[in-house]
Amino acid sequence: MEVISQDRILDINIGPQHPSTHGVLRMVVSLCGETIININPIIGYLHRGLEKMAENRTYLQYLPIVDRIDYLSGFFCSYAYLNGIEKLLNITPSEKAKYIRTITMEMNRITSHLLWLGCFLMDLGASSPFFYAFIEREKIIDILEDLTGSRMMYNYYTLGGVKRDIDIDILNRIKEFSDHFETALKEYEDLIEGNPIFLSRTKNIGLINKETANQYSITGANLRASGIKKDLRKDSPYLIYNNIDFEVPVLNNEDSFSRFVIRIKEMRESKKIILQCYNWLINHIKDEEIKSNINFMHIKPEGKVISEVESPRGLLQCIIHADGTKKPYRIKWRTPSFYSVQLINNLAKNYKLPDLMSIFGSLDVIMPEVDR
Amino acid sequence: MIKSFILPIKELIKGLYTVFKNGFKKRVTLEYPEKKKLLNNNFRGKINYIKENCIKCGICQNVCPLISCIKIDTDFSIDLSQCIFCGNCVENCPKNALYFTKEYELAVNNKEKLILKEDN
Repeated sequence: MEVISQDRILDINIGPQHPSTHGVLRMVVSLCGETIININPIIGYLHRGLEKMAENRTYLQYLPIVDRIDYLSGFFCSYAYLNGIEKLLNITPSEKAKYIRTITMEMNRITSHLLWLGCFLMDLGASSPFFYAFIEREKIIDILEDLTGSRMMYNYYTLGGVKRDIDIDILNRIKEFSDHFETALKEYEDLIEGNPIFLSRTKNIGLINKETANQYSITGANLRASGIKKDLRKDSPYLIYNNIDFEVPVLNNEDSFSRFVIRIKEMRESKKIILQCYNWLINHIKDEEIKSNINFMHIKPEGKVISEVESPRGLLQCIIHADGTKKPYRIKWRTPSFYSVQLINNLAKNYKLPDLMSIFGSLDVIMPEVDR
Repeated sequence: MIKSFILPIKELIKGLYTVFKNGFKKRVTLEYPEKKKLLNNNFRGKINYIKENCIKCGICQNVCPLISCIKIDTDFSIDLSQCIFCGNCVENCPKNALYFTKEYELAVNNKEKLILKEDN
């Protein structure tokens, strides 16, 4: 290997307020000419102390804050947190509540992937796919707004179910959306997959091999793009994923392009799950039990529990240590983006500086989840 | 050799076709101040307070995730500049003294105006 003398190395600072770092990530990049020699990601600019905040709030007071951990997929964080409490209190949600939770979570997964798709292509310099992705995303957000009352910070799940029942009007809108969504996905594929600029900037770039992926504990779509078939929905099914027919897409190419393809495929699978949930819910529209009768204000769980969920970015875990008082003793979040962000030095080394953002964009990292 | 010339042109035409196709589609945006989106009844906007219903039990204060948003000493007050519109207080109020309105344009030039008190 060629030894580079110190006077040829230039350290530059990217971020924390850079439009393509998807939040407030700061990177100190060492360059030799335009080639990247070393990257040092510095996190913590969006740290809000969400784990410490849990210690001086009751379980109900902490519930709306949980949505802020990952603002693009708030349902997943709420589910992980509530599922932990439900395990401690031995509450089982009713079947209808489980279906409503699944359908909303899968819709949330689509919104998260669509935003990633738009931003990723924006990083590569294509601005019109951003708007096409947002047209579809807006439809789901509108449905979720009418269902929950808020566009992103839902606060919709509660102990043993959900706060409000899903009505026939919203179900019909969900059906209408999922029928139309396939054409939109086809449009994205037609527009993007064959594009020579896109291909030259993503194919065989940013390779994560199986060994690296395991060493860095990568989960989710990034892992499945490296040829390892791991999905919590299949491996240890929670909610109603046992009854549902869907596939876990896996690709072996390990590059940025396969991470793009995998997310498009995942959206298609989510659409399949939504349709199956719709078919069940439309037949059980008259079921009334959607939450437990226990008063959330006065719960005093005791014990330790780990609850997991397959979020759009990977495996999300909530570890609750409850000591029998009104407030949790300690809550720890294991968020998938935190592990992905550490990969950047390994991936972008020896590439040129303009490739850095395309590689980083393909990992689907969002900063509030990293810093918490 | 020829293929490497034809492929980008084909993709360019495909891209332009998509752009023009979307140009003739129905418009998806609204011209905001003139036209506004219809909101559902579930929408969580500005909070309103009914003085007659309130029994000053303090539940809203206990379920609020913020420390100094809702205050009940002698008078009831909500600081809307801190409020995150989570809806905990509205859901847990035993006498329905609090409810959400559909008002969401809350920009003011004096922060004091955002403190919702008993008499207004």
